[in-house]
Amino acid sequence: MSNITENFVSIEQISKVFNLANGQDYIALKGIDLQIRKGEFVSLIGHSGCGKSTLLNMISGLDGPTDGMVLLDGQKISRPGPDRMVVFQNYSLLPWLTVRENIALGVDEVMSNLSKGERQAIVEENIQMVGLAHAANKPPGQLSGGMKQRVAIARALALRPKVLLLDEPFGALDALTRGNLQEQLMRICEESHVTAIMVTHDVDEAVLLSDRIVMLTNGPASKIGGILEVDIPRPRKRMAVVNHPSYYSLRSEIIYFLNQQKRVKKLNARKKTAVAKHGLEKVNLEIGFVPLTACAPLAVAREKGFFTKHGLDEVSLVRETSWRGIVDGMAGGYLDAAQMPSGMPVWMTLGGNDNRPLPVVSALTMTRNGNAITLDRRFYEQGIHTLADFKRMLQDSPSQQHRLAMVHPSSMHNMLLRYWLATGGIDPDHDVLLKTIPPAQMVVDLQAGSIDGFCVGEPWNLRAAMEKVGFTIATDLEIWPGHPGKVLGVREDWAIAYPNTHIALTKALLEACQYCADPANAEEVGQIVAGRDYVSTQPEYIQIGAPSAIACDLEEPMREYAHHLFYGEGVNRPSRTEHLWQMVQMARWGEIPFPRNWVEILERVCRVSVFSTAARELGLSEITYSRGAIQLFDGSTFNTEDPLGYLNSLAIKRDFTVADVIIDTPRIA
Amino acid sequence: MTTSINSRNSSGINFSEIWQKYGTVIVPPIVAVIIFCVIWQIFSSDSFPGPVKVLQESFTERDGVRLIDPFFIKGNNRGLFWQVFASLQRVAIGYSLAAIVGITLGIITGASPIMHRAMDPLFQFLRTVPPLAWVPISLAALRQNEPAALFVIFITAVWPILINTSVGVQQIPQDYNNVAKVLRLSRPKYFFKILLPAALPYIFTGLRISVGLSWLAIIAAEIVMSGVTGIGFFIWDSYQNNYIAEIILALIYIGAIGLILDRLVAYIGRLIVPDEQR
Repeated sequence: MSNITENFVSIEQISKVFNLANGQDYIALKGIDLQIRKGEFVSLIGHSGCGKSTLLNMISGLDGPTDGMVLLDGQKISRPGPDRMVVFQNYSLLPWLTVRENIALGVDEVMSNLSKGERQAIVEENIQMVGLAHAANKPPGQLSGGMKQRVAIARALALRPKVLLLDEPFGALDALTRGNLQEQLMRICEESHVTAIMVTHDVDEAVLLSDRIVMLTNGPASKIGGILEVDIPRPRKRMAVVNHPSYYSLRSEIIYFLNQQKRVKKLNARKKTAVAKHGLEKVNLEIGFVPLTACAPLAVAREKGFFTKHGLDEVSLVRETSWRGIVDGMAGGYLDAAQMPSGMPVWMTLGGNDNRPLPVVSALTMTRNGNAITLDRRFYEQGIHTLADFKRMLQDSPSQQHRLAMVHPSSMHNMLLRYWLATGGIDPDHDVLLKTIPPAQMVVDLQAGSIDGFCVGEPWNLRAAMEKVGFTIATDLEIWPGHPGKVLGVREDWAIAYPNTHIALTKALLEACQYCADPANAEEVGQIVAGRDYVSTQPEYIQIGAPSAIACDLEEPMREYAHHLFYGEGVNRPSRTEHLWQMVQMARWGEIPFPRNWVEILERVCRVSVFSTAARELGLSEITYSRGAIQLFDGSTFNTEDPLGYLNSLAIKRDFTVADVIIDTPRIA
Repeated sequence: MTTSINSRNSSGINFSEIWQKYGTVIVPPIVAVIIFCVIWQIFSSDSFPGPVKVLQESFTERDGVRLIDPFFIKGNNRGLFWQVFASLQRVAIGYSLAAIVGITLGIITGASPIMHRAMDPLFQFLRTVPPLAWVPISLAALRQNEPAALFVIFITAVWPILINTSVGVQQIPQDYNNVAKVLRLSRPKYFFKILLPAALPYIFTGLRISVGLSWLAIIAAEIVMSGVTGIGFFIWDSYQNNYIAEIILALIYIGAIGLILDRLVAYIGRLIVPDEQR
């Protein structure tokens, strides 16, 4: 019984192939598996042509699947029927019948066992429900679009269908009408406990109406790219849902997904073969970055011609709004290289991304520092100036959930924030809620009150302070001075296929790092980074050179601003010790398993030889010295000989797993 | 604006307003007709009478009747009204038959792809045969003038109705068919609630084309079939007697009737087909 309720509508391994006119086959859908609970409202979202309407048609029975089947209430669907009423985008009302006759047509046919009076009562009741009593005798031609769609909904619901199928029901309506109808539909669905499946391309509509949002990838062979649970409580109000903390993260999740689908299409079209030139295997590179002050080396390498100088004539920088975009770009092979949070190479190599290990290597640390933890300004006014104050505040308000944000599980921000909280006795998973938000969204979210603080790279801490929405409670100098910030990451198979390009890229960026670090260039670099192609902000938010007091210009306590380190002794060389520390920290919080073969993994991730060759060829061998031991603010030392022992000694941690992580040996090309 | 208010105050009928409303609609066609008549008059001769002569002759008494009176009956000689009436009766019968057969066959071929594939080449072939070409074969087959004339009207008028109906049924929007499928409508209900209303605009287009064609066909048929009352034979008879003015007057009747028939069917169509489908 519960099985039927859980799998009220069951879509099992559906595929759909269309035979094209030219004799070829077009695979529209492939391997769609979806279970829908009774009373659930599910949205199907995706780009045009992703097959979402086709999927709906197979549930309605108007179209049959090539493979697989759809079950409703345990019964296989083979043809259309009134238990699965459809609300079409173009209403599909019969223009020669009045509103009442349109609704009665179905009622009379389907409920022929009822008396005439009972049927009339049902028709009238449904006309009332959608508020069209005054128009019951009008033909559809005299109604507005919104009224027509209300008739279509009434016609569908009058038959008490098991499932209501809506195919972009409000797509042709103006915004105001759409909003009203959405609320009416929600009310009706909640009153009659109907199970509904809606196709839409409107992100806000999907979030507002749905219990779950099913995102379909672009065709051909579309599949389910992800399913989002909408945890906003019902009844929902259109104006109120936007204030729910989940609203914007759900929204940005869907928009990210849709943009990614669009970009994959574009990148697939652009995907070119490697152009070999100047003794390099590939000079046409797509390099991903996220707009932050830390993208300075990439921006400078391009604007000041360091790429070209080292033979990389056709470099294009691809701006991603979030680190997830970088991950997907690397995993999909659309990006040749990317600026990455320093933990990302290890994280991807160990299967942090959906448990799919993808060996990624790093030969250059591009920046250090430049991160800070910002809290909402109201905490400062409440006298919370230190970690201890923060902990006391959390203890005093256990009923309140405090939300802190970071940019990616594998970023230093996540690890620093967690380490800082844990050192203060705050469990980052239980005492607060950690959310992943793209860097550029932090200040806006803090202002909107959907988060209470964040750990992110510049310029966002500075900006929050200057706009008086937040204050810096801790800079990275107070947690781990000189910690790695962003690194250059490439896929291992890429590094093996294009070894000379890898060295040339490292050289170009290393020289750019050197340029950024020269105080004489600080203003110019700031201008470049603030430009439209990069961070696109006012130059005063970009702090490249001398530490500025602005960010910390609160009376008490004064802090030293954590400006970026781009270049120097031991700054740029990839460090096994640091990657190991990050490996331990990510294992500590359950992001990845800790590999028993950690020595091997580190050897593969850290491409010191590439860095050394690049530095030597540039005549910069003096900077290759490695750094000393890691000094953290709590005074603990990190024993590189016994990472597991260190991990076990930490008080606050998750149930981490230790496993042999076997990664395919790369093919030597 | 002010002038119209003033003139309304000064006199009961507001001429300037009437002029504003209808002037641009009525005056241009009247002017065009006048110009046409002037040109006609200029090019007229003894063998081709101008408008003035046609009017004169219409009012002149010949064999004790004036042609301008459409209702006279003198032996076999009848006024133009009776001639037109006789022709219209044939059209009514032939056209109704064509409508019944055309709509029925059209629905069958429209609804069934196999029937469509089988019949369409035949229909396309037959419809290109001009009305006059049917006259000898119908006369030969039916041996009598009256049924032959009806057959010519029928065979001319049936194709546009049939083909348009067939297209109309094929073009029923998929949405309406989907509604029928989802509701699992019974066949009779589908026919009367969806198929027929959805195809109506097409059917009326066919009917409208056909009414013009059947009017065209009756004139042609009657010219050839001597000895029957009818506007077509009237023209032929006048030609034989060299009454050219009579022919021209008859042409005016034919044109007027053709126009009225076309507008009548269009009007009925507008009455029946809902706004949204037009």
